[in-house]
Amino acid sequence: MSDKGVLATDKRGIRELGAEKKVGWDEVPQGVVLNSFEEMLDPKHGAASLKPEERTYSDFNSFTATVASWRVIKPVYNRDICIDCQNCWVWCPDTSIISRDKQMIGIDYDHCKGCGVCVEVCPTNPKSLLMFGESMDGDEALAGWPEKKKKEKK
Amino acid sequence: MAKEFDLNEVEVWDGNYAASQALRQAQVDVVAAYPITPSTPIVENYGGYEANGYVDGQFVMVESEHAAMSGCIGAAASGGRVATATSSQGFALMAEVLYQASGMRLPIVLTVVNRALASPLNVRGDHSDMYLGRDSGWINTDAFNSQEAYDLTLCAFKIGENLDVRLPVMVHQDGFTTSHKAQNVKPLKDAEAYKFVGDYKPVDDMLDFTRPVTHGAQTEEDWHFEHKARQHKALMDSTKVIDEVFAEFKTLTGREYKRVESYMMEDAEVAMVVLGSSVETAVLAAQELREKEGVKVGVIAPRVFRPFPFDLIREELDRESLKAVVCMDKSAPGGAMGALFNEISAASLTTKARPMITNYIYGLGGRDFSVEEAQRIMKEQKAHADAGHITTEIQQFSGVRGPKLGFFETRRGK
Amino acid sequence: MVEIRWHSRAGQGAVTGAKGLGSVVATTGKEVQAYALYGSAKRGAAMNAYNRIDDKPIKNHATKMNPDFVLVIDPALAFSDDITKNDKENTQYIITTNLSKDELISQIPALQDKTDRVHIVDAIQISLDTIGRSMPNTPILGALMKVSNMYELDFFLDNMKKVLTKFPQKIIDANMEAITRAYNEVK
Repeated sequence: MSDKGVLATDKRGIRELGAEKKVGWDEVPQGVVLNSFEEMLDPKHGAASLKPEERTYSDFNSFTATVASWRVIKPVYNRDICIDCQNCWVWCPDTSIISRDKQMIGIDYDHCKGCGVCVEVCPTNPKSLLMFGESMDGDEALAGWPEKKKKEKK
Repeated sequence: MAKEFDLNEVEVWDGNYAASQALRQAQVDVVAAYPITPSTPIVENYGGYEANGYVDGQFVMVESEHAAMSGCIGAAASGGRVATATSSQGFALMAEVLYQASGMRLPIVLTVVNRALASPLNVRGDHSDMYLGRDSGWINTDAFNSQEAYDLTLCAFKIGENLDVRLPVMVHQDGFTTSHKAQNVKPLKDAEAYKFVGDYKPVDDMLDFTRPVTHGAQTEEDWHFEHKARQHKALMDSTKVIDEVFAEFKTLTGREYKRVESYMMEDAEVAMVVLGSSVETAVLAAQELREKEGVKVGVIAPRVFRPFPFDLIREELDRESLKAVVCMDKSAPGGAMGALFNEISAASLTTKARPMITNYIYGLGGRDFSVEEAQRIMKEQKAHADAGHITTEIQQFSGVRGPKLGFFETRRGK
Repeated sequence: MVEIRWHSRAGQGAVTGAKGLGSVVATTGKEVQAYALYGSAKRGAAMNAYNRIDDKPIKNHATKMNPDFVLVIDPALAFSDDITKNDKENTQYIITTNLSKDELISQIPALQDKTDRVHIVDAIQISLDTIGRSMPNTPILGALMKVSNMYELDFFLDNMKKVLTKFPQKIIDANMEAITRAYNEVK
C-alpha cells in the first residue's frame, strides 16, 4: 500500500474504546457537550475544508478510539479488480472504507469491526473485497485471490 | 429591528399578558409551542408580536408539548434565546424533555401557568404540574401576581443564561387566579428591559461551524453519575446568581425579590408556609388576625422552589418565638405528606427551634382559598402552640366537602 | 375596598367590561383586580366576572367576595343566578331588564327586602340601539357610574375612549353613546 499517511494518522485509534481517562464530576464537560476537534476550524467551510487525516481530533471524538480488537475476520482489498464504484464506501456502517476523490484507497482497520457488508455489496467478479481470518497476512491473501467465475453452461 | 411597543407607566395586565410582554422585551429568538389552557395567551401573544414586527423571532408550531420542548432544545442548542409556555397535561407530556433541557444545560425559559392534572379533567389552578417537574433540574421560581409574573420572567433569562449557571428556568404563576386576573403592572420601557436582560451569549452552539460539537450524548454507569453530580452542583450554586440578579432588579425597579419571602416573621409564634397567589391571601389574613385578635402570625413563601432554599428556610424557622408551622400543599399528595411539608420539615430538623409542623392539602382543582379559611388554619396552629403539642392530625384537608379527613397523630410531647 | 361582581353569559363582554373598568380606574392611581370565573364553558353559559378596587395593593386572591355592587348584564340571569350570594347590607344591584322595577322585583323574592338598592337599566336594548348588537358590558358601566358616583360621566367617557382605541371610531362613538344613555336612563 502506498497511502500509509492516509491510513494511519497519529491520532487515529490511539486507544481502546472505553479506555479513556475517567475524570471526576468537576472535570466532565458542561451539559455533556463533546467538542469534535481540538482546533478552531475555517468558519467558512467548517470541517468540510479539511480531509479527515488533516483534522486534529479531540479525545472525545470516537475517531481516536479503536475497535480493532472486536474483529475476528477482516476484509482485504484488491486494487487490481476494483472499479471504484463506491458501493462499499456507501454501505460501510463504520465509515471504515477510505476513499479520496472517488478513488478507493483501502480500509481503516482501527474502526472496521469486520462485519463483511463491504464484501456483500461489491459487484465485481471476482470480488474486490474478501473476508480473511484476522491473522492472515494481506499480501498472502492477495496472492491467493480467486479467479473470475465463468458462467456455468447448461 | 423590532418596533418599540408603546407602554403606559401603569398597565392593567393579567399574568399571561405580563409574561408574554416579558418574552417580547427579552427579544426571544424562538418560541416552539403547543398552546394549552390556561397558558395559551402567552405564546399566542408572542405570535402576535412577531407577526406585527414587535419581536425579531420565530414562532414554531409543533404537534405536541413533547415536540414543543424538543423544538426549544434544538433552538437553544443552536444558540438562540428560547422560551415557551405550558400547563397541566401539556407540562406532563413535556416532562421527559424537561430533564433533557437541564441535562444539556440549555437556559430555556418556561412560563408555567399552574393547572390541575386530570383525572378528573379540570382547567383550573393547582400545583400538580409544578410538583411534577420539581426534580427535573430546572430552576423554579414562583410569581404570586401579574407584576411578579412579568418581573420574574425577565429575571429568568438573566439567571439561566448567566455563564456560571446555564440552566433552564421555570416561572410559575397560578392558573386563572394570576394568569387571568388583570391587575396593576408597572412595566419597564423596552430598551430598559432588554438592557437588564442583556444580549444572549451562546455556549457550545451547534451553528458555530468553527467548533463542531456533539449535543445529547449517551453515558452509561461509567460517566452518567459525574454529569448528574456536576449538574446538581450548578443548580445548587445558582443561588448566588439568583440573589445577584434579584439585587440588580431591585436597583432598576425598586421591587425586591428574595429566594424566600417572609412576612411578619420577626416575632411570629405561628407561621404559614405557602406558594403561589395564596401567599398574598395568607399575608392579608395574617395582618388582619394580628390586628383583630393579636395572634402573632407570619407567612413564609419560597419564591425559588428549586434550588430549594434550605438555607433561608432554616433561618426563618430557627426562631425561639416560633412554635407551630403549617405547610400548605396545593397538589394531591398521592399517598404521602405534601411535598412542601416534607421539605420544610427536613429543613427544620437541623434547627435549634424545631417548631411543630403540620400539613394541609388545599385548593385542588381551583377550589377557592379565602382569608377566613387561612385565619381558621392559623388559629389552629396557635392552639397547637398553646397546647405544646399538635392537637389535630398531622395532615388535614382544607375546603373539601364530606366527613373530616386527616392522617397521623404526633408522637412528640403529648 | 370596593368589590363588584358581574353576572353575565360568556360572550357578553363581562371580562372585557371588567378589564375596561380596571384600566380606567388604574389611570387614577388606584389599584385594581379584574378577573372572571369560567372554566371549559362555552359561549352562552352563565359566568361571573369580578372587580376589586382599592387605594393600596390588593392582596386578596380569593374568588369569593362580598360585593358592594352586583351588575347583572343578562336579563334572564336575574332569575336563574343566585345574584344576592354573599351580599352585604348596602350592596347595590344594577340589573339589565325590559321590565319595570316593580315587575322585576315581584318575581325575584331575594330582592324584595332590598328594593331601594335595586336599579334597573335596559342595557341590552341600549346596546342594540347604539352599538347595533347585544353588548351590554359598556352601557352597564355607564349605569354603574351613575349609581356609585365613582367618576364624573365625562371623565369616565374620556378614559374609556383610551381603553377602546383598538376599535374603529364608529364603534368607539357608539359605545360612548351607550354609556351616556345608560348613565341617564338607569333608575
